Amino acid sequence: MADALGAFEQAVLITIIRLGDEAYGRAILKDVQQRLERDVAPGAVHVTLDRMEKKGLLSSKLGSGTPVRAGRARRYYRLTPPGVRALNDARAAVDNIWRGLKWPLAKARSMA
Amino acid sequence: MTIDRPTTSPPQWGEPALRLFLKPEDRESVPGDLLEEYRLVVRPARGRLRADAWYVWQLAGHAWRATWPWGAALAASVVFRNSLDWWLSPTQDFYARSVASTWTAIAIFMGSGASTGWRSRSLRAGALAGVLTGAIAAAIETAVSLGQLAIQHDAHTMRMIAASGGLEEVFVLPFIVIVPGTFCASIGAAIGKTLAVVYSRAKTNSA
Repeated sequence: MADALGAFEQAVLITIIRLGDEAYGRAILKDVQQRLERDVAPGAVHVTLDRMEKKGLLSSKLGSGTPVRAGRARRYYRLTPPGVRALNDARAAVDNIWRGLKWPLAKARSMA
Repeated sequence: MTIDRPTTSPPQWGEPALRLFLKPEDRESVPGDLLEEYRLVVRPARGRLRADAWYVWQLAGHAWRATWPWGAALAASVVFRNSLDWWLSPTQDFYARSVASTWTAIAIFMGSGASTGWRSRSLRAGALAGVLTGAIAAAIETAVSLGQLAIQHDAHTMRMIAASGGLEEVFVLPFIVIVPGTFCASIGAAIGKTLAVVYSRAKTNSA
């Protein structure tokens, strides 16, 4: 099995799937911030994207720039087949861990 | 307010400095993402000064990520050497230890420059990495040395410190070292950049 994905990596990968053709750096940042409900540094997203691309979980290509970016190109990301596999593995692992338990946990049970 | 958003910009020196710490293939997209966030969200919400501070903070994050392990390694080597001289194995003959710590520092500075040069393919980035590595190490060393001395400052310790160069060496040398360290990092950057170019060409030829 490949390296287990961290929660933040999973959030970034799922965001890329959700955004589809619009998955570029800042759009990913905004979506991740919204879903995790916390402030996320742009650098953290860039480093994560870079690391996952090196692992072969993502591929990227440069697109066009926009006036608000002073013409600087956007880099668009998409999942590779190993990326999809890693995300499926991560989800399966969580499901296995939770199998047999009802969620949310009952108060009495969590106190035991 | 909306009209002037596309023309508002972070400090002029910010983007060139940021690009120094980026891989060539990221030098368009990463500054573009930051500029977009700056113009659309940060500047309208926080005003110019705080938005500029935000941008500088993002830049500092990139610089920090590129250099902190080297700075921490250098600080660890100096703190270890001090502990050896003061408490673990006091000596009167410092020659061998001095040679070992000097070459360790040279290797760390060169490593910092080489990794930055490899990544950014920029000699200036390597030199800047040297400055930051030295500055991070000096800050950590100063803090740790102060802590060590606050805990243990008996007569034996003070004698050993005096024998190994005195308090000036403990608190001034880490900052002086930044100058030759930057030179070493520049040499490392030249090596890293050359290796990256050679590797990239070999990869292209074999593809």
